[in-house]
Amino acid sequence: MALFRRIVRHWADYLYIAPALGVMLLVIGYPVYFTLYLSLFNTPPNLSLDDKIFVGLDNYARVLGADSVREASVNTMVWTVFSTFFAFVLGFGAAIALNREFIGRGLLRGVLLVPYVISAVAASYIWRWLYHSDIGVIGAAAMALGLADHKLNFLDNTDTVMAALIVVNVWKEFPFAMIMMLAGLQTVPDALLRAAQVDGAGPWHRFWHITLPHLRNVSMVTVLLLLVTNLNSFTIPWIMTGGGPAGASEIWITQIYQLAFGRIRFGLASSYSVILFVVMMTIGVLYVRALTRGDARRAG
Amino acid sequence: MRRLDGWRITGIVFLAGLVVFTLVPMAWMLVTSLKGQFAALQYPPSWIPREPSLDNYTDLLSPRSEVGRIFLHYLLNSLWVSFATTVLGVLVAVPAAYAFSRFRFPGRNLLFYGVLLRNMFPAVVFLMPLFIMMRWLGLVNTQWSLIITYLTFGLPLSIWLLKGFYDNIPVQLEQAARIDGASRFRAFLLIVMPLSSPGIIATAIYSFILAWNEYVYALTFLNDKNKLTLPVGLQAFFTEYATNWPGLMAASFIMSVPVVVMFLVLQKYFVRALTEGAVKS
Repeated sequence: MALFRRIVRHWADYLYIAPALGVMLLVIGYPVYFTLYLSLFNTPPNLSLDDKIFVGLDNYARVLGADSVREASVNTMVWTVFSTFFAFVLGFGAAIALNREFIGRGLLRGVLLVPYVISAVAASYIWRWLYHSDIGVIGAAAMALGLADHKLNFLDNTDTVMAALIVVNVWKEFPFAMIMMLAGLQTVPDALLRAAQVDGAGPWHRFWHITLPHLRNVSMVTVLLLLVTNLNSFTIPWIMTGGGPAGASEIWITQIYQLAFGRIRFGLASSYSVILFVVMMTIGVLYVRALTRGDARRAG
Repeated sequence: MRRLDGWRITGIVFLAGLVVFTLVPMAWMLVTSLKGQFAALQYPPSWIPREPSLDNYTDLLSPRSEVGRIFLHYLLNSLWVSFATTVLGVLVAVPAAYAFSRFRFPGRNLLFYGVLLRNMFPAVVFLMPLFIMMRWLGLVNTQWSLIITYLTFGLPLSIWLLKGFYDNIPVQLEQAARIDGASRFRAFLLIVMPLSSPGIIATAIYSFILAWNEYVYALTFLNDKNKLTLPVGLQAFFTEYATNWPGLMAASFIMSVPVVVMFLVLQKYFVRALTEGAVKS
């Protein structure tokens, strides 16, 4: 019972983390349990949960077999992969370009970070206005430049809606990749780069053989965080299209929300959530592992 | 003098493109917010308002106008929710981070990484059970439901960041103070707190911005029109008949000002809050 004795000896230490732990358990522990529980029931399309009927794993079968879920899954993959890829590439490029001293560098970094700080709600409204089908400034610019001969309807067109939304998302989150990669670039030892230069290594060589290997960990964390953020996106698609037109921009999260709070099918939405949750946990484990690789020695 | 080689030119062109991409939407928001409702609907859209005016802003910020009364009300709601979240967040995160940094109690690593995993959970997944829980606690349709939820959004990163600060403050400083007769609490207050104040500022801003911008919980937990926060309250600009785009753009601008200013002034800390942990070599 050595463990028990140690816990007792350290009892006062737990008081410090008790408030944090308490609120986390209340807002996370309980919901996880309740979602799992509710996912096994058929709930009535109102909020009187006392009338729910136990159905075992039926909800899971229904979610996994639904055509609309399959379509949303394709959209979710497109949304997540393209958003993550472009946000990372633009952010990394900006970080490299900003990683040298020049006048106005701080200002430039500040300007590029603004989309990341403003609310997704404001961003969504601004872009809806830019994309406006009759008087939007993007459509007007395309016509003025001769790129289009009729008014463009970006958001109400099943072919363009995903691309239009991804542009907004990339606008909003490339700055995050930029600051992460910039912080990473600043840990690359200068002495090493100079030594390589003295030895005659060109810029491309130095980048490939010294800079990139140093950035492996931070790139990993950045990409994982972007993936998670994008899989969890709600605000931009919800405000800009609500999943439409005809489900063309429906992703997992908007579908779950619609199921739960539009159609009030809490049981079905819960099982859908659990499935999503498993996907997230896989990424989560990878994230903690990437994050702790450098930290494990110190914490031990 | 370094000459302008191909790499540098590519870099400059790339940055210029990104700045245009970043600024055009924001510039269009500003230009629109200076137009009247009719001017905004003209085609082709004009980048220079013919009769620029601040009417949209004075309307929104005047308690005497109809739209201003609602808007200011939502603004105060947002301020209250964000402020309460921030203060509570710091009060909860500081002792937890301190304990994770200083004490060696059983289960420490497990609990610490458990806290970090919070960031992996999709917000919408928690919406249903929390909605039911808040209803059961009688908190649905109160702003406390939001404050409690937002608190946990910010905690993982706050604790992680503050722990990094405490790890870097030598224990010997505290020990010296305690030998001189200070209690653990006094030593913390007089020595650790001042040294970690940048960390506390960073976590405070982070929590504030999170709470200020949050949408989906506010959309779901509140249905009393008087209690809405700004992000949800902006819906008021869409009516059955028409959308008041200039008003909406002005409101979006006002909503963005506090977080952008706060962020630009304290950029250093904020960037640190986001990158802490990921870049340890």
